[in-house]
Amino acid sequence: MGAGIAQISAQAGCETLLYDISQEFVDKGLGRIRAFLQRGRERGKITAEEEERILARLRTTLKLEELAGSTLVIEAVPEQLDLKRDIFKQLDALCSPQTLLATNTSSFSVTAIASAARHPERVLGMHFFNPPPLMALVEVIRGERTSAAAMEMGMELARRIGKTPVPAKDTPGFIVNRTARAFYNEALCILGEGQAEVATIDRVMKEAGRFPMGPFELMDLIGIDINFAATQSLYQSYFYDPRFRPSPIQQRMVMAGNLGRKTGRGFYTYGEK
Amino acid sequence: MAKSSVAIIGRSRLAEELFQLSREKGLQATLHPDADGIAASASLVVETHAADEEHKREILRKLDADLPRSSVLLTSCLGSPATRIASWTTRPERIVGFATFYPIKEKKVIELSAGMRAQEESMKEAGSFFHGLGKETVRVKDGSGLIFPRILSMIINEAVRSLDEGVAQAEEIDAAMRLGVNYPLGPLRWADQIGLDEVLAVLEGLQRETGEDRYRPAPLLKKMVLAGWLGEASGRGFYSYGK
Repeated sequence: MGAGIAQISAQAGCETLLYDISQEFVDKGLGRIRAFLQRGRERGKITAEEEERILARLRTTLKLEELAGSTLVIEAVPEQLDLKRDIFKQLDALCSPQTLLATNTSSFSVTAIASAARHPERVLGMHFFNPPPLMALVEVIRGERTSAAAMEMGMELARRIGKTPVPAKDTPGFIVNRTARAFYNEALCILGEGQAEVATIDRVMKEAGRFPMGPFELMDLIGIDINFAATQSLYQSYFYDPRFRPSPIQQRMVMAGNLGRKTGRGFYTYGEK
Repeated sequence: MAKSSVAIIGRSRLAEELFQLSREKGLQATLHPDADGIAASASLVVETHAADEEHKREILRKLDADLPRSSVLLTSCLGSPATRIASWTTRPERIVGFATFYPIKEKKVIELSAGMRAQEESMKEAGSFFHGLGKETVRVKDGSGLIFPRILSMIINEAVRSLDEGVAQAEEIDAAMRLGVNYPLGPLRWADQIGLDEVLAVLEGLQRETGEDRYRPAPLLKKMVLAGWLGEASGRGFYSYGK
């Protein structure tokens, strides 16, 4: 997701530095951005000059120290708490006192990540949605010790990179992942009770509910494993509140390796992969 | 059926809309606040009450006593399964459940459920009523709120809890759900459109039927219904509508 965030930042006219731990990862990220921009040019959404200017604003580095002078650093490393805490400890020590530090976590408490820094008041959450170049929303998360000034700046910078920011308190799942749980979990309950079949539930949610996708189609797209992990994480974070209880159906699918579109089989089949 | 006439019972916007739509489609339709004054000629009665089960039970008992044997009774199963509703009457075979939320205009599909003792003829009759209104129908296993109202009520309940806990403001919660997961409406705005009393009825029905804590309504939702802040229809819900 880091590359997608770097792309929108560069597209919005900001000098952008993409950091990763190896040249291979940096190249991969840059490759994805290039491919995205190229498709945009081919479809006439951006001109060749714009594409060039965007890429010119984008630099890469393997040295964390180079981020020191940035206005804003957005961390989007894999969802491992120790790894994130370690990075914020380093960033806090390296960066100028004015630098705003943001985590793109979706499953951890911003407060738990921020407390690794000596100055947690300048740490906040900026939760982007996939794929960042296409999804307008950024949840801007106020940790327990995030300052009002940092929140204001986070909101401003999110607008600056062309997104619609929504401020929220640091609570499990923030707004979207928490509220949307019911869309998946209740559909799984209904399926589990044998009240209706997958295709019927999807159809009703689209044709009575006007949702753009049914819950099962969407889980197949997201990945059953990803969706199951998000539900489990929320369930634990709410100390096993039954509202968030994961579904044994979903667990079995993960065990079977039926993970949705990416494996060719989930709630629906998609042909051999 | 030669000349079908339909009697619609209820005070909600959904009842009003069903009445208007039936007329537009050339059905002989009448609208009634409760079970009084229903013509004995009504071949189909559509009863739309969701909240206040006691009141609903009175209406069903009266209809059961007054209506000719051949009439089919289509009843909202937002707050109680069709089997439960049918158990209040002497002729459970003619009771068919349906579950939908206002507005019906934009819905392509209506969910129907057969109570355990419903007859196939009654199901067919109920189906052809909705087909006559230009809707498709799907049959699902009986329960409170069936599918779409059940799932949406759970989403709304979670959004109301977030609001009450101060996670974010109503406008922010709604914007996040529209932009983050492409919902057609924010859940709180959606609740205002449906009517908070109908949403609460679904949750309370599920909680009562299953005994599961996951369906416990958010305290704020209950309080707003008690305060009479039901949404668009009453001029105030999570938002104000200048009435």
